[in-house]
Amino acid sequence: MLALWARGGGVGETALVSLAPEFAQRVLREPLSRRAVREVGYLLLAGPLTVFGLVYAVASLAVGAALAVTALGIPLISWAVPGVRWFGSLRRRATNGLLGDDIPPPDPFRPPPGFLARVSAGLRDRTGWRTIGFLLLAVPLAFAGLYVVLVTWVWGLVAFTYPVAAAFGDGPPELFGWVITGGGSVFALWLIGLALLLVAPWAVHAFLLLDRQLVRSLLGGGPGAAERIRDLERSRAYAIEDVAATLRRIERDLHDGVQARMVALAMNLTMLNETLGPNTSDESRRMLTAALGHAKDGIAELRHMVGGIHPPALDAGLATALDTLAARSPIPVTVHGELPERPTEAIETIAYFSVAELLTNVTRHSGADHATVALAESDGKLVVTVTDNGHGGAGAGGSGTGLRGLTERVGTVDGRLAVDSPTGGPTVITVELPLHT
Amino acid sequence: MRIVIAEDSAILREGLAQLLTLRGHEVVAAVVDATALVDAVAEHHPDVAVIDIRMPPTHTDEGLRAALRLRRADPTLGVLLFSQYVETSFVRELLADGSSGVGYLLKERVTDLDEFTSALDRVAAGGTALDPEVVTQLFGSRRDPGLATLTPREREVLALMAEGRTNAAIARTLVVTERAIEKHVANIFSKLGLSASDGDHRRVLSVLRYLDGRR
Repeated sequence: MLALWARGGGVGETALVSLAPEFAQRVLREPLSRRAVREVGYLLLAGPLTVFGLVYAVASLAVGAALAVTALGIPLISWAVPGVRWFGSLRRRATNGLLGDDIPPPDPFRPPPGFLARVSAGLRDRTGWRTIGFLLLAVPLAFAGLYVVLVTWVWGLVAFTYPVAAAFGDGPPELFGWVITGGGSVFALWLIGLALLLVAPWAVHAFLLLDRQLVRSLLGGGPGAAERIRDLERSRAYAIEDVAATLRRIERDLHDGVQARMVALAMNLTMLNETLGPNTSDESRRMLTAALGHAKDGIAELRHMVGGIHPPALDAGLATALDTLAARSPIPVTVHGELPERPTEAIETIAYFSVAELLTNVTRHSGADHATVALAESDGKLVVTVTDNGHGGAGAGGSGTGLRGLTERVGTVDGRLAVDSPTGGPTVITVELPLHT
Repeated sequence: MRIVIAEDSAILREGLAQLLTLRGHEVVAAVVDATALVDAVAEHHPDVAVIDIRMPPTHTDEGLRAALRLRRADPTLGVLLFSQYVETSFVRELLADGSSGVGYLLKERVTDLDEFTSALDRVAAGGTALDPEVVTQLFGSRRDPGLATLTPREREVLALMAEGRTNAAIARTLVVTERAIEKHVANIFSKLGLSASDGDHRRVLSVLRYLDGRR
């Protein structure tokens, strides 16, 4: 097929292009593609890096071994082994950066305190030893890689440009001690060069599959890291939902239990008050009145406490709860927007308390005389926007700490908080939360 | 007065029935959920239904939904919502269809039996009874410079008005003459730019609408 095209122009090319135009274009463009350039660059970079790494490892281990009879040897090795990680990290990042892999980093080296513990941990650093193993395997591999580049790219370029060199130089140059003359031979050489250049990117790419596999298995955090992240995400979501469910259960239990009993107690005291005989002493009446007062105060305190645990209005939906929240705000607040689906409990709770805190900020710091709370769903995310017409500058100075705390709370569910508050206002704060944890 | 109670907590249901009976009212039915409430109202035609907002099965706002349904079916039925907390959005929903014969009180208000029964009477007579807490919340949101010009006494009168009281009742509460209250009310209306009207509940509505001028 290549020869067919290489004859140039005419019927052959047309036929080929019409047969498999996309394939042909891909083959022709590949040598000039970004991927091909990056892969060659990677091989040229990886070679020296690997060699340096191995030299460091061998040298430090050899020195350590030579000093093993003294007190210095073992500690030296224990420092050298984790030190190798640096080369491993560079190699892994080169692979990720240039070849577009996503090899996770290994767990960082966290030695326990104390000299002996540090030495022991260094000697047993699996990641360090694995990196040394990698370097041992990777050095021959690096030379092999450079050889592949030499055979395909370099020889291909030399052969491909031979006719030009032959035409413009001082006669045909030497090639491995040979001088090629005669139109047929030069043309054949040019064809070989072209073929090599077209094959070169694929050869390098295929070779790098091996290298990348080696990097992934010996320098990567292993399958454990990604899996552990998934596990952590799952357990975090569970913990967050569990807290929300627990708070809601506490609120229900209080409502049906303690609160109901307190009200019943107040009712009974009221009835007692109603049915007191005419010759009840003033002192008894006073005590009863005091008891009633305590019951009432207790009920009111409980109600305020419950509002801070889990606002009952949240059960009727975020929009309803925000509506009530807005009505309590000292400055006028307009709430608009609806959600097509209800987020999970934890998300609703976080959204509610975020808006509560933002509205408090607006009242205290912004100097605004009006605020708007907008509720929307966008790209599977819950977006709550709080806008005020105050003097802006939020996020700086004292109010910044509040916003930082809020950002962290929103971050517990991978949410985001964006502040747009130019001096002079208006301030727009956007809280973006996933609909589900 | 003939009363139906809907309340899922047994101790509160019984306590409330006892209290009302003590004050000479007739509790014709005491039920545990919204479905039973609708049936009881259809059967007994009470003057007032006292309804807990949170009832089975979801324990969210069943009581409010049932109250709105009952009111639509029979606008002359008095409905008193009875809850352990105040949600302004619920108040607004309750008042959306008109405010005659509706009320919303915190459960602990039963401890002042005189107040509580007079609120029931107002609701039964087609008036309004809103919990002072509702009024406090709406007042807490000082939405208008007009309110700032009110004297403390006028604010006090406005708060009582918003709860649904008549001038005579306000005069009794504040221990002044009814004539004095009328003057305060006239001042309030002029400062807030409202025109006075006769009915109790219309005063509440205009005050509420004014305070909460969002819908």
